[in-house]
Amino acid sequence: MAQRVGTYTYGSEPTERLPYGIGRVTGPWLFAAALAAGAFGFGVYAYYRQYTEGEVITGMRDIGTMGGTPWGLYVVFIAYFVGVSFAGIILAALIRLMNLHQLKPVARIAEVLTVIALVCAACCVLADLGNPIRGLLNLPRYARPGSPLFGTFTLVISGYMFASLVYLYLDSRRDAMICARVPGRLQTFHRIWAAGYRDTPAQRRRHYTASFWLAIAIVPLLVTAHSTLGFVFGLQIGRPGWHSALQAPSFVIMAGVSGTGLLIVAAAIMRRALGEQERLTGEVFRWLNNLLLVLILAYLYLWIVETLSSVYQGGEQEVEVTRALFTGEYATLFWLVLALLLSALALLIAQFFRPGLALVAGVTAGVLVNVAAIFKRFLLVIPSQTHGPLLPYSPGHYSPTWVEYGVVIGLFGFGTLLFIGFAKTFPIIHLPEAEKERAA
Amino acid sequence: MPSYAMAIDLDRCMGCRACMEACKVENNTPEAAFWMYVFRFEEGAYPDVNVSFLPRPCQHCDNPPCVKVCPVGARYKQEDGLVLSDFDRCIGCRYCEVACPYGVNYFNWKHPEENYYLDWDDPELEEVTGGAVPPYANPDLGQPHGTEGRNVAGGGNTKGVTEKCTFCVQRLEKGLLPACVANCPVSVFAFGDLDDPGSAVSTAVAGRPHFSLLEEAGTKPRVFYLGENPISRESKQLEEVRKRA
Repeated sequence: MAQRVGTYTYGSEPTERLPYGIGRVTGPWLFAAALAAGAFGFGVYAYYRQYTEGEVITGMRDIGTMGGTPWGLYVVFIAYFVGVSFAGIILAALIRLMNLHQLKPVARIAEVLTVIALVCAACCVLADLGNPIRGLLNLPRYARPGSPLFGTFTLVISGYMFASLVYLYLDSRRDAMICARVPGRLQTFHRIWAAGYRDTPAQRRRHYTASFWLAIAIVPLLVTAHSTLGFVFGLQIGRPGWHSALQAPSFVIMAGVSGTGLLIVAAAIMRRALGEQERLTGEVFRWLNNLLLVLILAYLYLWIVETLSSVYQGGEQEVEVTRALFTGEYATLFWLVLALLLSALALLIAQFFRPGLALVAGVTAGVLVNVAAIFKRFLLVIPSQTHGPLLPYSPGHYSPTWVEYGVVIGLFGFGTLLFIGFAKTFPIIHLPEAEKERAA
Repeated sequence: MPSYAMAIDLDRCMGCRACMEACKVENNTPEAAFWMYVFRFEEGAYPDVNVSFLPRPCQHCDNPPCVKVCPVGARYKQEDGLVLSDFDRCIGCRYCEVACPYGVNYFNWKHPEENYYLDWDDPELEEVTGGAVPPYANPDLGQPHGTEGRNVAGGGNTKGVTEKCTFCVQRLEKGLLPACVANCPVSVFAFGDLDDPGSAVSTAVAGRPHFSLLEEAGTKPRVFYLGENPISRESKQLEEVRKRA
């Protein structure tokens, strides 16, 4: 297998076929693409209905006399998608700054995941706005840095996405150059992508230096960007359960949990689909699993600290929200999230002792923590709006309608479409280095 | 520049909700939006029952959480103390709504013209209204208002923006009192310039002990309540308005 891929490496003769099945549409791929396109189409229809009729067809309503929640599933998934974007950046940083070169094969999967997740997050923001077009115009025009949402739009969605795109580009020019040697429909595309890159030692050094410094610049961006999303909730005194200094760090860690989890799942799927068992080895998965293990432990710690500090003192409204979580309307979801995180933790500890289980345990844990991440965001956003109002309004209620589910499913379809579309036009895994490069 | 404020005498309020009605007529707010809302509380068990009332307009805070969080400056504080919402700029993110501890914001979930209590396209109704939809619209609304001349007055502007009590900015400009104040049958409200020691609100506040809602939240409201705070752990609404848009 390695030899087959090896024929595409730098210095070899141009071959007829691109690596990793690029440009060749297969049955399973078409099936996946059709499924994703169907989901996306459904989302577009749902959003069309919402756009024309107004958000009255969602489950959201005003706080107070209407007994509703002005923020619903969309805000939950903005937080989730932004969380997933953690994957690419942390991988880039780990590989560059800590020299973890064994992780390099998953680096591009992670970077693509980041960019797509941020695109989905931006779409989710637009889906949430009552006036999306005005949003696009007014957010840049009248931007107020004093609003916690300012960070979401600038640092997270623009800055983070831009940095990730640049990083992805710098890191992919070599592979584009190699692909551009293969004649075919995609040749021009790859040639434009490579943009004159020839992989001379000087170019390589320049790219290495640029992406090294970018990786260094990105690490603080990682912390601040995810923190600003935490501040959206953590700075608010109006809703019990939100005002907490731990909100920002919790968002950073939870982003890590869901991002790393989804990366493991995506890497395993690509390993299977592309037959890359030899390069995406157990060692790669063990490394990612251990990272996930540490992040889950850190998250559970923050969660316990936060719950204790909000309940111990016995503030009336905080207790009401916590009661709704522990034994009330949200109890099922609350304990389910805890069970999911603990199961993932148990699996990851098990693979620690049985290295052979790394892949299975990692993928299962990855799925579990992502479900948990979505539900946990729901438990953060919704109960504080329905329970424990500071003025004596009655408890509210929120259940999403098909429109909100439709838009979210559509976004997942859109993301999947982008991901598998990318995988068919560009090497989703770094092409291996040629022998002489490795020696150099 | 006046410094507008309101005093609400809870000992006088009898919970008739005429202020809510007056507000709706003046500001043309859509169905289920109550810029002015009167809580009616019941405490205790028969025969020892205590009933109390608490009108809740926008508090026009001096440290307004809604203004702080607005990402586009659609929600802003005027020099004269009013907290207003620019309907031409609002993008509909509803952050002001979740930030406000008082729950005074109302979002236009529907096209407002479809949200005025009755189906105005109903042929039977059209006979009565002569096709005017809605049959009454306050002509004072929909023009630039306030010290910054922005589109801030009245409700039911467009789908997807957040609206709230404006202290009837369109009436203040004409030298009139807000609709709730002018229509209260028992003079619960005192409204005026806080800087003028002779104004109704200054004399009302000066003479008696008063409190603000959720003082501990640090929002510094411009609405002062006279009398005893009826909100307690046992506060239960007698008959709440739970209409959804």
